[in-house]
Amino acid sequence: MKAIRIGLAAACSLWLCAQGLPDETVSSKKTAKETEKASPAKLDIHTVLKKINVKSPYEAPDLPLKTNRVYGQTPDDLHPFGGVAPYKRHFLVQMEYTGPGRAFPEPEDVKTVKIGFLGPIVPTVSVATGGKSHEENLGVMMLRGAKLAIEQANAKGGYLKRHIPFELVVHNDNALWGASGNEVVRMAYEDKVWAIMGSIDGANTHIAIRVALKAELTWMNCGDTDPTFIETNIPWVFRCIGDDRKMCYILIDYLYRKLDLHRVAVIRSSNRYGRFGVRELRDGSRRLARPLLVEMAYQVGDTNFDLQLERIQETNPEAVVHWGDAREGALILNAMRARGMNQLFLACDRCASDEFLKIAGKNAEGVVCAYPWNPDRKDPKLEAFRKAFRERFGAEPETYAAHAYDGMSMLIWAIQEAGLNRAKIRDVLAYRSEPWHGVTGDIPLTAALDDGGEVYLAICKQGKWHYYSRKDLGIPQGSFKWVRSLALQRTVK
Amino acid sequence: MRGRYSKPFGQAALAAALAAAVWGGEAPASRPARAKEALGLPYVYTKWEHFTKKDGLPNEHIFAVKVDGPRVWVGTEDGLACYDKRTGKFRVWKEKDGLPWRVVSAIDVDPKTGDVWLGMFGGGLARFSAGRFDHYHQLNSGLVNDVVYGVAVEHDNVWAATTAGASRYDTVRDKWTIFTEKNAPMEEIWNYGVCYNDGLVYLGIWGSGVLEYNVATGRWKDYVDPDGEMEIDLYRDDGIVHVITTGVSYVDKILWVTTYFGACRYDGRHWRGYYQHECGLPSDFNNFVKGRSANEAWFCTDKGLGVLADFPTDTWVKYVTDGDRHDGYAFVQRGTNVVAKVHTGFNLSHNYVLCVDFDGDDAWIGTSEGLCRAIGEGITPGCVRRVKKRTQAAPE
Repeated sequence: MKAIRIGLAAACSLWLCAQGLPDETVSSKKTAKETEKASPAKLDIHTVLKKINVKSPYEAPDLPLKTNRVYGQTPDDLHPFGGVAPYKRHFLVQMEYTGPGRAFPEPEDVKTVKIGFLGPIVPTVSVATGGKSHEENLGVMMLRGAKLAIEQANAKGGYLKRHIPFELVVHNDNALWGASGNEVVRMAYEDKVWAIMGSIDGANTHIAIRVALKAELTWMNCGDTDPTFIETNIPWVFRCIGDDRKMCYILIDYLYRKLDLHRVAVIRSSNRYGRFGVRELRDGSRRLARPLLVEMAYQVGDTNFDLQLERIQETNPEAVVHWGDAREGALILNAMRARGMNQLFLACDRCASDEFLKIAGKNAEGVVCAYPWNPDRKDPKLEAFRKAFRERFGAEPETYAAHAYDGMSMLIWAIQEAGLNRAKIRDVLAYRSEPWHGVTGDIPLTAALDDGGEVYLAICKQGKWHYYSRKDLGIPQGSFKWVRSLALQRTVK
Repeated sequence: MRGRYSKPFGQAALAAALAAAVWGGEAPASRPARAKEALGLPYVYTKWEHFTKKDGLPNEHIFAVKVDGPRVWVGTEDGLACYDKRTGKFRVWKEKDGLPWRVVSAIDVDPKTGDVWLGMFGGGLARFSAGRFDHYHQLNSGLVNDVVYGVAVEHDNVWAATTAGASRYDTVRDKWTIFTEKNAPMEEIWNYGVCYNDGLVYLGIWGSGVLEYNVATGRWKDYVDPDGEMEIDLYRDDGIVHVITTGVSYVDKILWVTTYFGACRYDGRHWRGYYQHECGLPSDFNNFVKGRSANEAWFCTDKGLGVLADFPTDTWVKYVTDGDRHDGYAFVQRGTNVVAKVHTGFNLSHNYVLCVDFDGDDAWIGTSEGLCRAIGEGITPGCVRRVKKRTQAAPE
């Protein structure tokens, strides 16, 4: 009975931490009292390696799990059903992998260490657009960032335990009929990659990570900002870029808490990127009692937005938010100004680009975009990356290249530390307690293994993008007082 | 070669163990022992048989298991196997033997023809009939995608749950129908599980809950999480606990559903949600579910096997193995209250459980580290008073 009681106490402690305590880590073998006293664990890599280097297929490492007090850094007033304590809150405790994979020995016959890449690099047919695909320019930059990280690792000796090179196994992300799933199967079972990085399209990436889960492969996402990507509870999935949830929150805080606007309209692409991108903005506006005036959608590739803008103009908004690609965003902005609509124009991170500036011209002045990192940051690592990228590809690295470089660097680090074992590669990333210091800034992984770092605003001034933190602009944020879930209240009683 | 038996532990021994557990020191003193006696106890499997590569399996990562009379079909990460219960031997098919793709992720058998339908993980669909594999894939058929997670035979039709929609193949008329967001209420098209029973096809769809297809009327009905939010479950019993569904099983007009966030049961009018913290589920991460009756379902999780043995009394049996010691226990629970801990010997091949199928009183269970068979002897469904006499006084 004692064993049962201890087990229940451990489960209870895990539950308590998941539901009500500040961000910290918790071991499933601690009692509730011990857990409440626990301070955030700082696991060093040697401890992690010691625990995960098991020989038995039945053994799972006894390592502290990350927990978060609040999912997605959601302020109290933006929680869904804010007046009602939910029965259960998800994504507050780090997922575990309990399978036998850690016991698989490192193979002897490998000549290169293969890492998969899935991204839109060759034009295909897109389900989202019903025509030509549209994300190749982003995918190619992502591939370049990944390549640079691989080449630099190889220049330093490759996989150091065996002195063999890393090899990037590149697959095109074809959006037609779920082809991305087939590509991941090929990488897992034929190419025999050790981990995969990709992709950009939210639907394709969802398909891909389900395959990675079954095949037990670490997946690093550096370009899909769809909030639901990480909301799948897959213990093999990581993300190193701030998502649309957080970018919506900073726009909400800017629009409502700082500028005190009341009348906001949205125009978005009709694909998954637009549909899921604005979701938190829509919900957050409603929860702050300032519901969006109207939400208009357009087909990717459209050039005429009269219908949508006419409807928006009728609502007399103070600001218009666009969620879609840079090209359409700039065309919409130009059309707005041509119609005499001089409202504040805000947009998603894809619009904070050179393409947007080129198409929008002078109209771009004053445009505000959410952005997942701060390229203006003074950091020798970032400068070195820019220099190397320019020398290698003759172009400036943009956000997809930078995040791909970080994501691939994280995978390479994990492989160097863990060795050639898919489960252990996952472990060293999942149990990493320190933020990854990347060229895009610090990347602290949350309990959901998502990028918990800060997001920014990009503002166009004199034809250039300038990046600002909340602090720079004095953007207020909602409180995090938080309400326990009903399940926890019952547990405590 | 015959699989290995765990430590023999018959129901007589179990009765003694349960008696000791229920009436002895392991019973929580806070709850009157007589109440437990009145409710009775469920059947606990104490005899287990295990199968690995040494016994003839092509691979120990078991994705699918299907009982077919004297045969048990086993889908693994590297080949198809068939266990003959009469001889105790496996027959194996790999790609060199004509199997179209190495990873077999789903299996169903056509009761009319005996054809075995194989869903393959990235390899499409295959019919194994008379020793021949017929291969259906995206480029030669109406299969919507080659990543097949589930397969179910419905009359003359074969349903395939794929990563980009569902396909239905009419085997008599050689006609395919594709179901996606275009012609079915799929918010997302990422199908994960499929089952057929009693005129209804159920699709478990990742991100879109459960879809019900009425074969007679051709109409769809969708079941989603009513709160519409990914990060919470607002009310436990208001619908599916989460839209990321992983398994569906329909039996005796009861729908059992699993997700990576918990599980639930639907009787056509009421939902009941199950979370690890409040019942005998070993984990909220549920890979698969198989209902045995309206009151019994087996949940395959990443931390063991949870059996809801008796729905009306919320009685569970949670099987957890200690593979290193070839040992294991079953925890009999009413809700969160552990009423008995039964030593079963080596039970599950691994706690990472992926699939299950029933074979009369027995059950075949696929894990990520081998296949096992729970051998039932004299099963009585639900909870019954298995202990007639006190063997030890309960401490007061």
